[in-house]
Amino acid sequence: MKVAQTIYEDGNHKWLALVRDPSKPGYLIDTNEYLVTAGDDAILLDPGGSEIFPAVFSALSNEFDPRRINKLFASHQDPDVISSLSMWLEFNPAIKCHVSWLWSSFVPHFGGDDNTFVTIPDAGADILIGGQRLQAVPAHYLHSSGNFHLYDPKAKILFSGDVGAALLPTDENGLFVEDFDRHIRHAEAFHQRWMGSERAKRDWCARVSAMEVDMLCPQHGAIYRGADVQRFINWFADLEVGVLKT
Amino acid sequence: MSGQTSTVDRRAALEMRRIVHINEEIKHVVSSAFKINLMAMNAIFLAKRAGQNALGFGVLSNELRRFAMDLQHQMELLRETTYSSVATVTSLLKQARLSRIVDRALQASSGAGRRLIEGQMRQQRMDQVDRQQEQMAALNRKLSQMIYDTAQIVELGSVLARSAKIEAAYGGGFSSPLTQVSTDFEQIIGEIQRSLDKLNKTQEASR
Repeated sequence: MKVAQTIYEDGNHKWLALVRDPSKPGYLIDTNEYLVTAGDDAILLDPGGSEIFPAVFSALSNEFDPRRINKLFASHQDPDVISSLSMWLEFNPAIKCHVSWLWSSFVPHFGGDDNTFVTIPDAGADILIGGQRLQAVPAHYLHSSGNFHLYDPKAKILFSGDVGAALLPTDENGLFVEDFDRHIRHAEAFHQRWMGSERAKRDWCARVSAMEVDMLCPQHGAIYRGADVQRFINWFADLEVGVLKT
Repeated sequence: MSGQTSTVDRRAALEMRRIVHINEEIKHVVSSAFKINLMAMNAIFLAKRAGQNALGFGVLSNELRRFAMDLQHQMELLRETTYSSVATVTSLLKQARLSRIVDRALQASSGAGRRLIEGQMRQQRMDQVDRQQEQMAALNRKLSQMIYDTAQIVELGSVLARSAKIEAAYGGGFSSPLTQVSTDFEQIIGEIQRSLDKLNKTQEASR
């Protein structure tokens, strides 16, 4: 089962990571979910697909009262990101889902109505969580055409959606990247195929290099921290993307 | 609850197949009604050509045309009801799927999460499924009533076709083509009655 682990804590400002689920069926891609709490607010980042809702919900509720989750952040529109929306709305119909304007009429196919969505313009937006100002950072075309990452300037954590994702073998369950060179092999094919725009990649690398990032938290695979963050940015900048292997 | 949801799944799947079957029969009746409409128009012209001897036949042809239009309208209403049934069944299947996920979440959870599911979500789910099932039953009752009403309309059509056949005998030199037209009316209305019988049987099987 999934386990919620605290990756950052400063008073009531906290980041919980729910990574890797060894008991999940093999036909589903493994996903990471992150919960950011501050004051009375809590935002769940990329809440996951409906099939893994039981695992996410139970892991979260062991650490946190799930009724306090009042915001969701969907980096993009994929089913592994947000198809559990209707389940979260089950017990909190007032929950707000922050998503790119581009997908605001697509994601409601998973649930919600016109009161559910808070659209993020292309340039990005701030999301206030209990007094903490989180920033929705544009990451369009990485891989989705309406794509955002979420930066917490105080915690210096960047939730990076599919950027930094690695499809790890089942026996590599660590929360953090421990051996960058070994780890990155599992990220290469994913980034080459899923990331389609060289220009978007370069823009992202420049933007993120200028930010203070202690942890880069992807939606799949392990978390990069410390020097591995810049190592990843450099690796990504040099990687040829939009590659269809035949 | 998982036993209940799998029963709901099975019922919903059966319901979906039943609706498909009903829609096929509706299409058949609509096509027959269209044919009757065209035939009735031809019969009106034929009666006019036949003159004084086919006045009664002309009146009946007009009535048969009105019957065809009433039948088409009734079929539209039936189609709308089956559309509502599809929407309800789809919703029921969705509720059943959500219920299964809630069940799995309950098994996996402890503490506050478990209490939340037991105290709130589970009951909500069951209430939703109950509401959808009641809605489906109400739509089924409506559908049965509409099929019954349609059968009454078709019975009237059958009487009109029989009367047209009698009137055709007085058609003088046009008696033979008028008899042929009225026989065609009878045959097509007979086909519609068979379709309605099938619909009735389908409805009875669902009870």
